[in-house]
Amino acid sequence: MARWARREDARLLTGKGRYVADIDVPGCLEAAFVRSRVAHGRLRAVDCTAARDVPGVLGAWSATDLPDLPPVAILDRLSKDDAVAGREWPALVKDRVRYPGEALAVVVGEDRYRAEDGVAEVNATIDPLPAVVTPSAALRDDSVRLFDGLSNIALRGEAGTPVDPSVWQDAAVVVEAAYRQQLLMPSPMECRTILAVPEGDRLTVWAGHQMPHRLARSLAASLRRPADRIRVVVPDTGGAFGSKSAMFPEYLVVAYLALRLGRPVRWIEDRLESMLVATRGRGQEQTVRLAADTEGRLLAYELTIDADAGAYPHLGVTLPMITASMATGAYTTPHVHATVRSVLTNTMVTYPYRGAGRPEATTAIERTMDLLGRRLGIDPVELRRRNFIPSDAFPYETPTGRRYDSGNYSAALDLALRTLGYEKWRAERSRRHDDPDALPLGIGVSCYVERSGGEAGLLHEFGSVEAHEDGTVTARCGAASSGQSHETLFPALVAEALGVPETHVRLIEGDTDEQPEGVGSFASRSAQVAGAMFQHAAGLLVQEARERAAESWGLPVDEVDWADGGVHAASGGPAATSLGDLVKATGPLRVEDRYETSVAFPFGAHVAVAEVDPDLGTVNVLRLVAVEDCGVVLSPATVHGQTLGSTVQGIGQALYEGITFDDVGVPCLASGFLDYLLPTFAEIPPVDIRHTRTPNPGTPLGAKGAGESGCIGAPAAIVNAVADALRIADPGLLQTPLTPDIVWRAARAPGHGEGVR
Amino acid sequence: MKPAPFDYVAARTVAEAVEALGGTGHKAQVLAGGQSLILEMRLQRVRPDLVVDINRIRELGGMSIEDGDLRVGALVRHTAFESAEVAPGPLGTLLSRAVVNIAHPPIRSRGTMVGSFGWAHPASEWCAIGVTLEAVVEMTGPDGTRSVAAGDYFLGPHRSERRPMELITSVRLPLLREDTGVGFLEHRRTGFCFAQVAVAATLTVTDGAISGARIGLANCADRPVRARAAERSLAGADIGPLPEGARLPDDHLFAHAGRIAAQEDAAPVAEPYADVEYKRQVIAVLVGRTLLEAAADQRARLAVREGRR
Amino acid sequence: MKITLNVNGAGHFVDVEPRRLLADVLRDDLGLTGTHLGCEHGVCGACTVLMGGRPVRSCLVLAVQCDGSSVRTVEGLAEPDGEPHPLQRAFSAEHALQCGFCTPGFLMAAAGALEADPGLADDPEAIAGVVGSGICRCTGYEPIRRAVVRAAREQRGTAGRAP
Repeated sequence: MARWARREDARLLTGKGRYVADIDVPGCLEAAFVRSRVAHGRLRAVDCTAARDVPGVLGAWSATDLPDLPPVAILDRLSKDDAVAGREWPALVKDRVRYPGEALAVVVGEDRYRAEDGVAEVNATIDPLPAVVTPSAALRDDSVRLFDGLSNIALRGEAGTPVDPSVWQDAAVVVEAAYRQQLLMPSPMECRTILAVPEGDRLTVWAGHQMPHRLARSLAASLRRPADRIRVVVPDTGGAFGSKSAMFPEYLVVAYLALRLGRPVRWIEDRLESMLVATRGRGQEQTVRLAADTEGRLLAYELTIDADAGAYPHLGVTLPMITASMATGAYTTPHVHATVRSVLTNTMVTYPYRGAGRPEATTAIERTMDLLGRRLGIDPVELRRRNFIPSDAFPYETPTGRRYDSGNYSAALDLALRTLGYEKWRAERSRRHDDPDALPLGIGVSCYVERSGGEAGLLHEFGSVEAHEDGTVTARCGAASSGQSHETLFPALVAEALGVPETHVRLIEGDTDEQPEGVGSFASRSAQVAGAMFQHAAGLLVQEARERAAESWGLPVDEVDWADGGVHAASGGPAATSLGDLVKATGPLRVEDRYETSVAFPFGAHVAVAEVDPDLGTVNVLRLVAVEDCGVVLSPATVHGQTLGSTVQGIGQALYEGITFDDVGVPCLASGFLDYLLPTFAEIPPVDIRHTRTPNPGTPLGAKGAGESGCIGAPAAIVNAVADALRIADPGLLQTPLTPDIVWRAARAPGHGEGVR
Repeated sequence: MKPAPFDYVAARTVAEAVEALGGTGHKAQVLAGGQSLILEMRLQRVRPDLVVDINRIRELGGMSIEDGDLRVGALVRHTAFESAEVAPGPLGTLLSRAVVNIAHPPIRSRGTMVGSFGWAHPASEWCAIGVTLEAVVEMTGPDGTRSVAAGDYFLGPHRSERRPMELITSVRLPLLREDTGVGFLEHRRTGFCFAQVAVAATLTVTDGAISGARIGLANCADRPVRARAAERSLAGADIGPLPEGARLPDDHLFAHAGRIAAQEDAAPVAEPYADVEYKRQVIAVLVGRTLLEAAADQRARLAVREGRR
Repeated sequence: MKITLNVNGAGHFVDVEPRRLLADVLRDDLGLTGTHLGCEHGVCGACTVLMGGRPVRSCLVLAVQCDGSSVRTVEGLAEPDGEPHPLQRAFSAEHALQCGFCTPGFLMAAAGALEADPGLADDPEAIAGVVGSGICRCTGYEPIRRAVVRAAREQRGTAGRAP
């Protein structure tokens, strides 16, 4: 076996990784930002005078000092034009603070210590305004508007069509509930990073990032420079989970200052500032209504979403539409209608976080399925089986406008139950139910449909495959890895497609000079989109090689075959040449590709077993089974790692992670990771991961996305298990995170069954 | 964030440290393990002008048994208590059961027990144990040395009887009799946060009846609390057979003591995810369970002694 | 202040402000950027190094406190000839890293535990303590546990896969 399982490991395990903070640039200045301590207020004055006198400080500026500092440009229809209109996001606060920690000024120093010394000397005067930190508060209190004269509602949208009132009236049973999907912090271990280095008339920007080309275009647009004057390079990146795909205000300020000063400037986000000003995920207030007949066959489903978009109309405005369009879930419900109001609040902007809209959709329908099952006295597994979209019904058009590509939902659930030993746990659940001294135990199921690859307009990737005279191959693409093993997997894929040794192929990505066009890494698209692109590009290279060989040998192309990394005449004989020799003989051989896929719909089932201590409210997850179907798996170890890591993030949403706010809208996070509790090893139950395999019919490769499913399926399974253990009648009592105090209160409430002590 | 600038003195003797602490009019902090101090300096909630590092004062490094007490010097790290052999008898067991609740190994290899007394955080495990066992805090200042009983030492969050120019040189914890059982339980949300509630308990049983009970509470008030009313409710009670099963029956005397501790002894301060009502519930439950653990420990010790006989 | 640090067996004389954290001196003054800063308040563990053989958070130790001490970082984990440490091989084999940012901290916490306790392989609680002393957002931790078990078994001489 090779010494290292992944190419990345050779440097990442020996301290030779190179993240933005590690890059040694002579004369580099470090930036630190002056942060608002209030959530909402009118900025009266910022005085940077004293900061400029601090030893080691090279400059300090507020928005007033930098009249030509542009606002944050929002490209690519990330938001809606009418949501953005009149709601400019300044890179430094001009007159109104709209979220706690919003940058009031920037200080650059010889190092971070000096820059922070300067920050301490900046004085800002802010007249506080009342703050609204939830959608309901922002909707209730119309006197608090984030933008004068404009509504706090930045977008109204819907998926599906309204359900006829008669459906509800005539249904045998209708259940209703309200759920809150709390704001979460993606919390990659490396916070946001940017290093801007002016070089002649160009600017090289190093950033831990998922979408280097978008960052380059956004900076170019904001700074009004030709796009080819900005190069973005993504070195090793310490995790992203959706949170590193934008151009943030701080990035714009750093790039601007590097150009203005003619010196390299770097900003390494500190964890404490990250907790105030890094993007949040989730943040939805939902109400649901689900109708069924007496047999439990679903008749109609309605989901209303009031989404927390954050303080400025960025991607968080349109993101909840993903939830709406995925509202249908795994079922044949004939009528589904989802409505969205994206609401501005005094919090940092909401943004995609692993799962991005799908955990919210899954949790809503899957919690409600259990509610319906309890109401009808139908086992939750049986209820789901009665309503699954059957495996022969694909492609399936959902009432919310999705075209599910392929699936076998009951197979995934069956495998999950078999893996768990469902009947055994059912018996244990009954035994404990009859024993007043035993801790109650519950089983929770969650069946999800995921959407991977991206949305229309972002379903393609660019790349190239180039053969060299020495027989090696260079693959380039527009993706950027933040832990997804691209450097190992993409060369392996290209090598297999070409029939050359893996070691002969190397990958270059995350560099806008090397790869002029690119889309990036998000929406679980590495294998599905970039992988399919490489397979396609390798095919183009083979084709080109055959044509060249055919020409030099004077043969028709269809008489030239490709095998084992070289061309040879189909008839046999001496006409054969390796790839390297072909390049030597015929010149540079490089194919460019732009490959477009369709949206894919991975799916699966999670089953959780949870034990609850009703006296303390603690939840102990005893087992978690995650069955995932992401089509053809390129690398079982990588997919397993993605699924487990994502599942643990789902456990975090279910049980631990949340933000509380003080009376004036400032998050109670002053002690950082001692306040915002991420799951640690001590909190992880035994997790079994299994796969079913239903290929993606949209590409020859057959892979669907694999990065996000865990956190999509897990939360509802865990919450359903807790509700099952406590036999809770009112689902509204169990809002995530299920902290012990929440669960204790829920356990004391009247149950729907007998025997809750 | 990075710490703001400060002056630094690495004292070699207690006298040097005391002189440094008292020698200027500005704000000084003692640096031992630094796992709270440097954290707070990074969060810029503490901005000392002077940091007096005591890590090079050799005389503060030791632990010894003196006159029936375990004397813990100011540089003894948390990790020293991970083995129950750290002190003879039930005291070693109690300390070893408590210490695993303090953060995690890399923090425990720097942080110190005496530093916890100096920091006086309301959720500190050591401070609650100090109050429970009637430990003594020994300090040296410009006017010499003095000792303060732990019960009098704590005044509130990060407030204590220690004067700014004084250095805590050691804490003395009384050894526990062999007929005493010990328990320590902590309730928190994950492995990486402070206790919402922690309880230390000792039970001494004579002829089947409780002849001595001590209960200490962490994070149940603005300072560590001794649950004296709950202790009184146990005095002389017949301990009887210990209940089995995961949940203590409501009518058990330990459950009763727990409710008294929650209602009469504790003065909980609300926190995110733990309001006063919930904290009282946790205190009631945890006190009952900790007493049960102490009773089981006492029985186990008795069984060992009787087996030996 | 002028101090002497022995890092990975090499002596360094550095002149530092008292407030500078060990992590910053390692990274910025000595160029040893393998030690990462993930939270800078002692929780996440990415900056864990060995100080006098014991794992410490280098973000919560002042460099001046280390005057005369020996410090070991991830750069000093492999043999001088470049042969990887058993932990490095085990982390790779068990896929105990993805983005790699937290990895140096877990490696050093585990290295400290392995060196302190040759019987670590038989002490699941101690291993849980090591794995439970840091935050990883990619792996879900179980692969890290398996890697530590694997390396501990190899050290003990009964090589085998983690259960």
